[in-house]
Amino acid sequence: MATQTPTKPKQDQAVADKAQHLRQLFADAPQYAKTALENSLAQLTSFGSKARERVESAGRTGSRQGKVSELTLIAPFAPGGAARLRALLQLRDGSFDDTDLVGTVHDMRFVFLDNDTKLLFATAYDGEWDPYIDDFATKITDQMDVIFSACEGWPGIRSAKVKDWIVKHQITAEGWYVAHPDLTVRDIHHVKRVGRAAEEFLDKIQ
Amino acid sequence: MLSIKESVGEVNSTRSPTLETSDIQATVLRPRPTPYCGQYVILRIGNADQGREMLRRILPHVAPADEWWVPSLPGWLGIAFTFEGLKALGVPQASLDSFPIEFRQGMAARAAILNDFGANAPANWEHPFGTPDVHVALTIYAQNNQDLQKVLDLARKSHHDLPQISVVYQMQFGELPEGRNPFGFKDGLHNPHVEGSGPAGAGKGASVKPGEFVMGYPDELGETANVPVPGELRRNGTFVAIRKFHMDVAAFRRYLRAQASSPEDEELIAAKMVGRWRSGAPLVLAPDRDDLALGADGNRNNDFGYADDMKGMKCPFSAHIRRVNPRDALKNDIVAVNLHHFLRRGTNYGPPLPEGVLEDDGAERGGVFLLIGAYLHRQFEFIQSQWVTDGNFISHGTEQDPLIGNNEGDGIFTIPKKPVRRRLHDLPRFVTVRGGEYCFMPGLRALRWIAALNP
Repeated sequence: MATQTPTKPKQDQAVADKAQHLRQLFADAPQYAKTALENSLAQLTSFGSKARERVESAGRTGSRQGKVSELTLIAPFAPGGAARLRALLQLRDGSFDDTDLVGTVHDMRFVFLDNDTKLLFATAYDGEWDPYIDDFATKITDQMDVIFSACEGWPGIRSAKVKDWIVKHQITAEGWYVAHPDLTVRDIHHVKRVGRAAEEFLDKIQ
Repeated sequence: MLSIKESVGEVNSTRSPTLETSDIQATVLRPRPTPYCGQYVILRIGNADQGREMLRRILPHVAPADEWWVPSLPGWLGIAFTFEGLKALGVPQASLDSFPIEFRQGMAARAAILNDFGANAPANWEHPFGTPDVHVALTIYAQNNQDLQKVLDLARKSHHDLPQISVVYQMQFGELPEGRNPFGFKDGLHNPHVEGSGPAGAGKGASVKPGEFVMGYPDELGETANVPVPGELRRNGTFVAIRKFHMDVAAFRRYLRAQASSPEDEELIAAKMVGRWRSGAPLVLAPDRDDLALGADGNRNNDFGYADDMKGMKCPFSAHIRRVNPRDALKNDIVAVNLHHFLRRGTNYGPPLPEGVLEDDGAERGGVFLLIGAYLHRQFEFIQSQWVTDGNFISHGTEQDPLIGNNEGDGIFTIPKKPVRRRLHDLPRFVTVRGGEYCFMPGLRALRWIAALNP
């Protein structure tokens, strides 16, 4: 659904207010930071008038830009969980064919925090995970559980409590950039296919 | 290498228990009669005592699933309640609170999820759909008008002397010639087979765990629904998404005329949109032309899959029947299709638009669908949001269902073809939502439980 665009004068005022607020916050910053802010402000304030997919809420938690959503969660490791997950990721060695099959995941990162006591998991994916959680539970039960059982309190992907566990550990990103908010993973595959066919066609007729 | 499990059935291979068909409402498990006519009636309950009195009187006439073919009545009656209706009947707060969120909110409040915007938005629905005045939905089926009147009379007598029970809506429905829908297609051809509900019959499609459609039995996740509480209220009950659609038959015909190069091409485009020819013959079994014998053969017209058509050359990925019931078409995807079925009880209303007419005559015509399942969220709402009003699951971007999608004059429809695909543009909205409600359809014992409440 279309997001209502506020009227322009109002928007300019809001941007000016935010810029003013920034200047106040930078009052105590080092001089080079203040200079950098002043140099950047002209460009930053011009963004406000530029049409772009707005960041909105993605279901329960997280943000969404166009068709793409972000999910960031930080959860404590279960005893031995960090070692298990690290060994598992090393075995995979970057291979996530099973994730390819999900068809909606743009990226995933697993970051071990605070001396292997917490997992930071961050991903960009298409649409919403909520409608598909039962499909994950059915079709990639083991793939989900072998990873996330590394975390404290993971109830198992088949548990009715799994949605609550995710939401409990999820943190909405304050800032987030997507180069192509209008393209899903499937759209990208499609565009690549069409691009290859077009190149082939051009090669033939040149 | 890790692999996706082949099917849900593999995980839950245990036999299903036999369903208590004497306690489940006939509307849930049994198809409409042929021929059929009937009426939908919506009641508002202004007083809980009178509401339960009405329920006590109507209870003996609610048809159970085991009796419909030797009905004690000349027709049969089903009864279901909205969340507001259960409140109005005095159902305890703990029970009310235990219902799934989508049911508590109601269909109108879920418009953003269901993509019910534009002409389909609840603000444009017929009164009283989407308002708190819809409490009780009665579905009455009969084989002829005379019988229908008898059942209607029984329904009326349940509340005629109760001033706080009011009829806020009623509409007649009935069969069109040759069992076609207003667009001219044979309808009501497919429903999943509910395990334990009776013999499957040849070519009747996937067998699905009964807990998907009736609470109190194991479902496809190997679980048994545990809400609403208490069990007496839940057992043998289910949920119904009611959708009333207006069908713009003239717009459909005009679109076909404008896009097609010949009358044969019109029929081909229409069939590609639906996934079946007008006779009911499925495209995967009859890719080039209609096959009347196939369409009429109940043992064959539903006995097919998409394994031999994974490129959509016969039946487009975007065709209506391939979207709402993908069968084996998505077997290599993350989707577990058995989690996303509903039982469809469709009925048509309004006069047919005479053959060959391309201008709208202003008549109200269309269909009312009861989409029945134990989990509205992953059944009706999933199918509507992921499969009907989106195209990402078939790598079609934002392309919607060509027939029932919420297109606003800018829709597209892709027909795979060699050497290049055919793509139709500027699809209008052929089907408009006139109203809808989420209802709870309890088992017969649960109806008695509600009727006997003494708050």
